[in-house]
Amino acid sequence: MISEGKIAEKSMDMIEININKDVLVVGAGFAGLDSAAKIAAQGYKVVFACKDAELPDSGDEFKKFVESGMVEIMTNTSLDDFSGVTGDFRATLAKGNERIKKNFGAVVAAPKYSFEPLNADYGVSLNGKVISQTRMEEILADPEEKEKLKAGDGAVFAFFNGLARELDPCSTERALRSILALQDIENCTAYMYAGNVKVASRGVERLFTEARNKGLVCFKPQEIPVVEQNDDYVKIIIQDPVIRKDIELDPDYLVIDELMNPGQENIETAVNLRIDADLDGFLPSNNVHRFPVNSNRDGIFVAYSPNDAANVALRVKELLGDGIKKVPMDRGVVDEKRCTICLTCYRCCPHGAIFWDNGAAVISTVACQGCGICASECPMDAIQIGTFSDDDLNENIDKAVVSAENDSPKILAFCCKNSAFEAAGAAEKFGIAMPAGFKMIKVPCAGKVDVELVMRALVDGADGVMVAACHEGNCKAEKGNIYAKWRVNEISRRLEAMGMDKNKVIFTNIASNMAHEFADKVNDFALKLKS
Amino acid sequence: MIVAERKPFDEIKGMVAGYKKVLTIGCGTCVAVCLAGGSKEVETLNAELKLNFGRDKIEFGSKTLERQCDMEFLEELDEIAGDYDAFVSMACGAGIQFLAERFPDKPVFPAVDTSFIGVNLDVGWYEEKCRACGSCVLGLTGGICPVTMCAKSLFNGPCGGTNNGSCEINKDQPCAWFKIYERLAAQGRLDQIKEISPPNDWRNQIPRKIIQPGYEERVKALG
Repeated sequence: MISEGKIAEKSMDMIEININKDVLVVGAGFAGLDSAAKIAAQGYKVVFACKDAELPDSGDEFKKFVESGMVEIMTNTSLDDFSGVTGDFRATLAKGNERIKKNFGAVVAAPKYSFEPLNADYGVSLNGKVISQTRMEEILADPEEKEKLKAGDGAVFAFFNGLARELDPCSTERALRSILALQDIENCTAYMYAGNVKVASRGVERLFTEARNKGLVCFKPQEIPVVEQNDDYVKIIIQDPVIRKDIELDPDYLVIDELMNPGQENIETAVNLRIDADLDGFLPSNNVHRFPVNSNRDGIFVAYSPNDAANVALRVKELLGDGIKKVPMDRGVVDEKRCTICLTCYRCCPHGAIFWDNGAAVISTVACQGCGICASECPMDAIQIGTFSDDDLNENIDKAVVSAENDSPKILAFCCKNSAFEAAGAAEKFGIAMPAGFKMIKVPCAGKVDVELVMRALVDGADGVMVAACHEGNCKAEKGNIYAKWRVNEISRRLEAMGMDKNKVIFTNIASNMAHEFADKVNDFALKLKS
Repeated sequence: MIVAERKPFDEIKGMVAGYKKVLTIGCGTCVAVCLAGGSKEVETLNAELKLNFGRDKIEFGSKTLERQCDMEFLEELDEIAGDYDAFVSMACGAGIQFLAERFPDKPVFPAVDTSFIGVNLDVGWYEEKCRACGSCVLGLTGGICPVTMCAKSLFNGPCGGTNNGSCEINKDQPCAWFKIYERLAAQGRLDQIKEISPPNDWRNQIPRKIIQPGYEERVKALG
């Protein structure tokens, strides 16, 4: 079943290219300095640029690299312009009126996020008694203020955490670290009023257990607590659903949780670097196929949490190596004569691998991941993907449909090599029965399947066409599955406008381990086409 | 660029029914850029037509030219034109007419509706910006065209229908003159708004011709 319809992947010719080995770290997030030091330790020169006038305390290792010239520091500096691709990024850095052009092989964004106290969620205002988590941390960092907490009977702290909305493990961790610090101060006690205590981050579960063992009292109220407050008094009232009584607490301080805010500066960085943010606006966008520090663009990394610096350094070394990189020659090739620089490919490429030069689009062989979204969107068919050229695909479609001539219904499935193609392979190994007329075409990503290919299969005589893609949010090419879905919907509309059955073409999401589900979907489709 | 839109399938189908060999001709410039008439759209339309008519009833060929508004590129069709008894053009109205002019004995059918002169907001998303009125006032209006953006194409200030920044025809349509006011004010040249533009000489009653300066003699020599 698979052998007939699939494309034999040709071997790709490789070439060696020289890449720039310098690294730019941009943004003053605390993981930035650490990343710069760790990258310099691998032997790569680093430029550390940030908008701030002064750097936070950076540690001895960092200072050593600055002295030796491995790390160049540029304060009061912002990223003014940015172009190029992995191994060859061109940055213009702005320092006052000065514009400095520098080239880099890799870039690390070290975002700094701000915090916004959620007191409005609880209908309270911040004052000397009701304080934000940030203020709490300031108190703990100041020896004098810390000393004052011991005075008299000591101090009682109540922490609100994720009561009005779902927060994240970062917020839980901040509260727990403050609570543990307070528990170490004589006469201090802590209470926590939490919605869901989020512990799904490294070591947070341990912090929570430790705090409880040291006497932290937790409440999980069913409703947002009632808070009474004035300048020198605060009272928290919750209802205990078991004893059906109000539980009152008048702590010395009520600490309000905070929401992390991506901020304008990070949005600007993302726009400049052309990398995607996640749904909440934080960098980078999420993709299970990437390491957490990798962005959607090859060669651009994001360091935010303390763990990120070491990971970024590893990935940078993997990328830059000794400055020579082997890349496939024809992953994506533009026919300059056909290209009309409409910029569609540049705008659609999920990896920022396309730019334009000398009147035609250029696909970087280093940055291109070969998904084929550009080729499918190109209105002039000017882009060919190395092992999945239009000629090859057309030939395979024709052959597949012809080979199913005596079977009914003839079903052609375009299968993403990362998911559906694997699922179908597994289905065959499991010996699951498939309709006799079922044939497959392997594609690098469902995003490579365009209207033209599907229509060709129908013209050839296929009774039904299926486009099988990875699940949403699980596409290696970020949006290939979404493009595929849009296109299938468009084909359905066109078929309907032609007075044909719009259900001849279907889109489906399949994961590589869904052999049975894939077979079920194909068999269901066959049944529907028969009726 | 000129922006066009594919015609509904039924309309195209109706035009070509009855012919035996049809050549669908794409245009590699404006209509390719606006994803309406490049080679991909040619192939897709042909596939739709083949699916509709069946493979044997009508034969559909395809060809995409650099531009259909230049005779030199149209010349590429001379050799193959004889093989077909009708053309479907996916170019703008100008290209379609030039094609019909080159092959006067051939029925030429439009597969797109030429819509406007506009800009590319994103992939597949366009907005009209210019009506080709022939007397540009953008210098006085802060770079915002009142002919295109104002429902009444007013040259000198808003009508009474301006409504808190919106046009009276539609709340989502900004009032052109409100936008012009804002832009000029921000640039500190609001005094210009008082300058009166003379009524436009709507010369588009007959086909307009332009000869760029310096080419008059060349055109004259061509007769």
